[in-house]
Amino acid sequence: MAIARALLLIALMHHSFGAEYDANKPITLTGTVTNIEWTNPHSHFYLDVKDEKGNIVNWKLEGYPPGVLYRTGWKRTETMKVGDVVTVFAWRARDGGNWAHSREVTFKDGKKLFFGPPAGTGDGGSQPAVEAK
Amino acid sequence: MTRGAVATAFVALLCAPALLIAQAKNGVPRTSDGKPDLTGVWQGGSTTPGNWEDANGGTGVGGTGKNPSAPVVLSSNDRPAGREGAPYQDWAAKKVLESYNKRGIDDPTAQCLPGGLPRSVTLGLFPQQFIQTPTQIVMLYEYMNVSRVIRINDKHRDELVPTYMGDSVGRWDGDTLVVDVAGFNDKTWLAGTGTFHSDELHLTERFTRISKDRINYEVVMDDPKVLTKPWKLTSSLMLREGTQLQEYICAENNLDPARYEKLIKDGVKFER
Repeated sequence: MAIARALLLIALMHHSFGAEYDANKPITLTGTVTNIEWTNPHSHFYLDVKDEKGNIVNWKLEGYPPGVLYRTGWKRTETMKVGDVVTVFAWRARDGGNWAHSREVTFKDGKKLFFGPPAGTGDGGSQPAVEAK
Repeated sequence: MTRGAVATAFVALLCAPALLIAQAKNGVPRTSDGKPDLTGVWQGGSTTPGNWEDANGGTGVGGTGKNPSAPVVLSSNDRPAGREGAPYQDWAAKKVLESYNKRGIDDPTAQCLPGGLPRSVTLGLFPQQFIQTPTQIVMLYEYMNVSRVIRINDKHRDELVPTYMGDSVGRWDGDTLVVDVAGFNDKTWLAGTGTFHSDELHLTERFTRISKDRINYEVVMDDPKVLTKPWKLTSSLMLREGTQLQEYICAENNLDPARYEKLIKDGVKFER
């Protein structure tokens, strides 16, 4: 009980996932990395992905800040480079645009790393901090 | 060497191991003045021992790693299950609910403002570092690059200018560091989406290092302007040897305020 209670206090992103992204809209994208921004408060990478009509669409993927990426096992100059082909599991933005909240990146050699936290973080969870009246 | 000196040396030899055992009780290191030494890099909201990689590896921070779509670890913005609701006055509870229903888009940290207290202590995504001397304990928070200096056995300043992290003074109650924090502004959240407070917020924190790996943390939040009674939360901090704090300059590339504005303007629904 004490362990569960302590775990529940862990904080994640500094902003609301739920406001910007829809946990009911998961998406898996495979494409070529065109840019990576190692910036605070959040990092981003961009992926050229072929859509169903054969057109190339550039997607923006949001994730952890650089400090967290380092501690999650990412190396800025080695792990993922422009030109690499990767697959990313993510959740789409609420506005339906070509951007998403990234979770797990799978590299060509099968290695997997998290680029972002799970869905549903930072938006208040399933219950408010006060009793609903 | 005289017979007396030999006897003294012999007694000292006999006592030395006992002294060492006393110092190493529960593996809690002590400073030269005999206080528990809180110096180290810590992760809030965890009970898992080990270095950062071992404690958080496999799952990544905030997930199980088994099902990437399943949120398993709630954030500090989420209400911990099984707890009573925070004791807000009715009008204030309504305001907290409004934030919740907007999924916390009014979170001060989305504007890159400091996390405040106790939020900066209980969050787990970023490490915090404590540096202890007999007269001051410095607490550095990677999240938002903020810090506080706890003055030991001192009084609050006569005139407190309202600040995000408040004015911290501490004292030792046995092996527990008790910190009194006052002089807050009203621009931070306590623990959970919308948990605002007034400039009358007053905290009493208790840090107890119970083992080499763990500090138990208890905080009582008192704010007569918005709460009906003091609100108490408990958490823990785990030692993360080898972890170094990184720079976190939130304003570098903060896209959130503009996005939130657009979402509201576009009438995007935030239903749960």
